[in-house]
Amino acid sequence: MGTEAPTVVLVDNSPAIKKLFQRSIKDLGIELKIFDTAADSWNYLKDNQPDLLFLSIILPDKNGLSLLKDLRKHTLHQNTSVIMVSSKDYAQDKLDAVELGVVDFITKPMPIQMITDVVIKYTANTSN
Amino acid sequence: MSNKYLRFWGVRGSYAAPFDSHLKVGGNTSCVEISADGHTLICDAGTGIIPLGNELVKGNARELMLLLTHYHWDHVCGLPFFVPAFLKEWTLNFFGPGNDRQDVEKHVSAQMKAPYFPVGTESWLAKINYVCPTNDTLQHGPMRITFRNVHHPGATFGYRICVNSKTVIYISDNECKFIEKSVSKQRSELNHEEQSLYDDLVREEHQSELEIIGNADILIHDAQYTTEDYNRKRGWGHSCYIDTVNMAIDAGVKELYLYHHDPNYDDEMIENIHQHALEIISERKSGLKCHVAREGLRVDL
Ligand SMILES: [Zn+2]
Ligand SMILES: [Zn+2]
Repeated sequence: MGTEAPTVVLVDNSPAIKKLFQRSIKDLGIELKIFDTAADSWNYLKDNQPDLLFLSIILPDKNGLSLLKDLRKHTLHQNTSVIMVSSKDYAQDKLDAVELGVVDFITKPMPIQMITDVVIKYTANTSN
Repeated sequence: MSNKYLRFWGVRGSYAAPFDSHLKVGGNTSCVEISADGHTLICDAGTGIIPLGNELVKGNARELMLLLTHYHWDHVCGLPFFVPAFLKEWTLNFFGPGNDRQDVEKHVSAQMKAPYFPVGTESWLAKINYVCPTNDTLQHGPMRITFRNVHHPGATFGYRICVNSKTVIYISDNECKFIEKSVSKQRSELNHEEQSLYDDLVREEHQSELEIIGNADILIHDAQYTTEDYNRKRGWGHSCYIDTVNMAIDAGVKELYLYHHDPNYDDEMIENIHQHALEIISERKSGLKCHVAREGLRVDL
């Protein structure tokens, strides 16, 4: 037991952001699951709690903060570590995110090393 | 006169500007009426909705649909004075961003509370329906409505309204080309691999911005700032009119209405903005028709 790789979920439909994440975590021994839409991610998240969840604010089907609001109502996700990823880095969005208990808010575009660093930081306690 | 038209009742952003120097363009905040075969659709409920309400009660219709882009004051502050809401023979259908009906109701009601306002929405006698915000398509009479998230603080929608085989797109508050500007600021700090990924990101974002306004016969879009003001107010969620015009050209929009005018800009300044917009269009050899959204202006559909 205890040898499973930490799971990180990214909900974002941008191919460039997906590539950026894949590149950033490639040497970390992390399992990265990517979903394009809120609806697709829900199918997975309704039964699974990842070690870290990255949510984009502008999604094709829903606002990422609305998705987070729904997730927080779910017993599985009351304490899930969530990081918002957005080019929409407005104070109002950040405040909403803080109220929904995110651990961080990162602004697009972000350098490769920055993604690597936050993934290490927030999965440190969950890996063995 | 056609019985399908749109009419501007409020064209200002941020706050009302009822100053002598501003009245050729108009002083009321965001509100556009779209009418088709006796069905009334209202985009936003800024102060412009007050005179619209007074006009509606004289007509025959007793039902309407109200689309809210978001709940910033300039888009909802006319509601406490919107007469049809206080008349029992009316039915009002509200649609706007939120997780569920209760959310929309909460946001609509929030400004009508003591000590900010003497009566709450419970004093509305009209039948009020809060339409579930997770429906992805709405229909109101002959009008089909879809929406997308746009770039503005908080959940904010842009609306695509199809009526009489014409597409009207209403995006009152939106900051165009945001990521392109963020990337160009950071470019020198990037390594080669990041530069190429960021270039992809900029291309994707540009493409998705074009898709939102693509195939518009009429685009009503945020054009709040001059370049100087945009540079000071970058990140406030509004566009520089130059970006709005260029996006409309790139997307192949037929007619653009510059909208959500800054309340600090008088008639002369907005005329200068319009002239410059026309120069950009002619330099780019585009067929885009560009107008200033003015209060009272009616456009047949
Ligand atoms: Zn506004
Ligand atoms: Zn706003």
